[in-house]
Amino acid sequence: MTFTEDTMNRLQTLATILALTAAISGCVKKQPAATTTAPPPSTSAFPGAVTPRSTPAPTRTEVPPAPPVIPMDQPVTASGDPLEAASLEKINQDSPLKPVFFAYDSDALDDTARATMAANAQVMRKYVTWVVTVEGHCDERGTAEYNLALGDRRALAVKNYMVSLGIAADRVKTVSYGSEFPIVPGHDEEAWKQNRRAHFMLTAKQ
Amino acid sequence: MFRPFALIVVVAAASALVAAAPDEASTIVYARQTPQTPQTEISVILSNPGSHPKIGIQEFAVSSPALRQAADTVASVLADDLKFEREFYVIDQKASAGIPKAATGATIPFTQWTQLGAEFVLMANVRDTGGKLEVEVKLIDVRPATAGKEGFSRTYGGCTAATPRFCAHSIADDMHKQLRNLTGVARTRIAFSSDRDGEPMEGRPVPAEEKGRGKAIYLMDYDGAQARPYTVNRAINIGAAWGPDGRSLAWASFVSGYPDIYLSLLDGRPATRPAHGTDVFQNQNPAISPDGTKIAFTSNRAGSGYFDIWVVDRDGSNLQNLTPGTPKSSEGAATWSPNGAQIAFTSDRVGPPQIYMMNADGTGLTRVPCGPKCDRPAWSALGYIAYTLERPGGKDIAITDLSKMEPRIITDGSGANEQPTVSSNGRHIAFVTSRWGNRQIASIDYDGQNIRQLTNTGVNTYPNWSPASGGR
Repeated sequence: MTFTEDTMNRLQTLATILALTAAISGCVKKQPAATTTAPPPSTSAFPGAVTPRSTPAPTRTEVPPAPPVIPMDQPVTASGDPLEAASLEKINQDSPLKPVFFAYDSDALDDTARATMAANAQVMRKYVTWVVTVEGHCDERGTAEYNLALGDRRALAVKNYMVSLGIAADRVKTVSYGSEFPIVPGHDEEAWKQNRRAHFMLTAKQ
Repeated sequence: MFRPFALIVVVAAASALVAAAPDEASTIVYARQTPQTPQTEISVILSNPGSHPKIGIQEFAVSSPALRQAADTVASVLADDLKFEREFYVIDQKASAGIPKAATGATIPFTQWTQLGAEFVLMANVRDTGGKLEVEVKLIDVRPATAGKEGFSRTYGGCTAATPRFCAHSIADDMHKQLRNLTGVARTRIAFSSDRDGEPMEGRPVPAEEKGRGKAIYLMDYDGAQARPYTVNRAINIGAAWGPDGRSLAWASFVSGYPDIYLSLLDGRPATRPAHGTDVFQNQNPAISPDGTKIAFTSNRAGSGYFDIWVVDRDGSNLQNLTPGTPKSSEGAATWSPNGAQIAFTSDRVGPPQIYMMNADGTGLTRVPCGPKCDRPAWSALGYIAYTLERPGGKDIAITDLSKMEPRIITDGSGANEQPTVSSNGRHIAFVTSRWGNRQIASIDYDGQNIRQLTNTGVNTYPNWSPASGGR
């Protein structure tokens, strides 16, 4: 797909309204920064007994109700931009789209994650032809099968947030690699925290 | 280490294995004493050590010196196969090396063998018949009252000097069947995933800092020998599952950028994709029904953001969600009961993942008691379900006897142990362990004895044990 001028204008108007709404309600009543605030990450490995799921997982239709305000740049089509002509492989090797990290056994997005995605959304607004696949990854703890499900929830959480920032849903695909594909090979928290990630892989320019 | 006194007696569930005594070699059939209890119960008891035939192996005779190495391989692999099922006591060949070799059963020095504890001596002639190996095997009674009597005699072809192991496996399976009423697993194979070839992935533009390694499906003999890659794409291929008779194989491949089920009939034709995966509808962890007609698998196809167990006919028709009633939880890792009537699976519907079983149409849900967190069930023909048990201390293999519904831990906590798969006779569990460093495939008996390391290179996961005979 391509972003038309009309689409951009409408999105810009929507963003302005949202910004105003947020500003007004902020004057009237102090609101929590985001309604998708994660529970504190569980550091105790596992509950000994059967307990309800602690982290509500996002569904494919859930949209965080109060996305932060993002300045809307016009799409840049400057012919001097090397990324415009670069191959997918080249771009992914030093991608302007940064990974999002997660707490253990959690698919919740913290402030750092949201800031990263805001920046990634900026990039995707700039390069309107880019289609990404968000890969959900997990650390090696937990079973391989559980991690495939957890990675899927992480990828979906990221996608849903990107959509809430105005990125078209069909530009953000998801896949879970579970714990099959650690980026850091170690067996300690230093490695694990880097492996609990959602990786933005540029998979097409359309 | 082989433990001669520990005999696994499986009651009722294994009644098919202890049916009528075979008419051949009836003079030395030592059918296990089978208590006539009607309920399906697994128990591990100590048997009379005398019930294990004690076998010595005489160095195999060869028709030409060029066959020596192949003959020795057959003998040592056969000894290993016999030890594996713990139905025979095999006398160390080194201990009997000094006993003069006999050309015929009648000339065996009986007393020298009996002094080593042997009751029977296995002797063989290995010949080259036009490029094929021919192994003629005889089992000779050396006990004083019956010395010289021939107990088992058969000639084996079907292998070559370059591939002698298969002859050994055939002999072992025949000896277990005829002398112990046991369906052995020496000719079975294990499929698994490995990154040992270190092929970089393709179809996925890999950032410079990532060491993107594909995982291929490998097949190996049950004892870890002759491992070789089956898939040749450079992508992640995991969750292999055999079909009946080892004539088909299903697995999940990320070769298109997302996981989908691939099904091969192992006949050289391209694999099919019966689960109809797309970049939105993603499928993994297949399990082929025992009759080969259906594939159960994990899918996000319901669109809820969670996984369900789906089932589809082998040809891609009759796609159906078996767990539609729990849209806010993930179900996965399906395994069929040996008779195909039920499916066990993992669900996190109560929070942490737990094991459940249901009828093959999705009705009749029952939770299988297991522990704090459990995953990847494997259903044994002996009436238990094995699974990964995750506790604060780590991951271990555990089993729950379906007649008692009590979990029992099989591995001893060394390393992380997960992803069990059960041999077709129900006695053995192959699994992934980190106890030797990188994750490797090991096998262990369901009483926790007889641990063996089956792989030793690369990272190896998702073992799946083939049905009997492995489609050879």
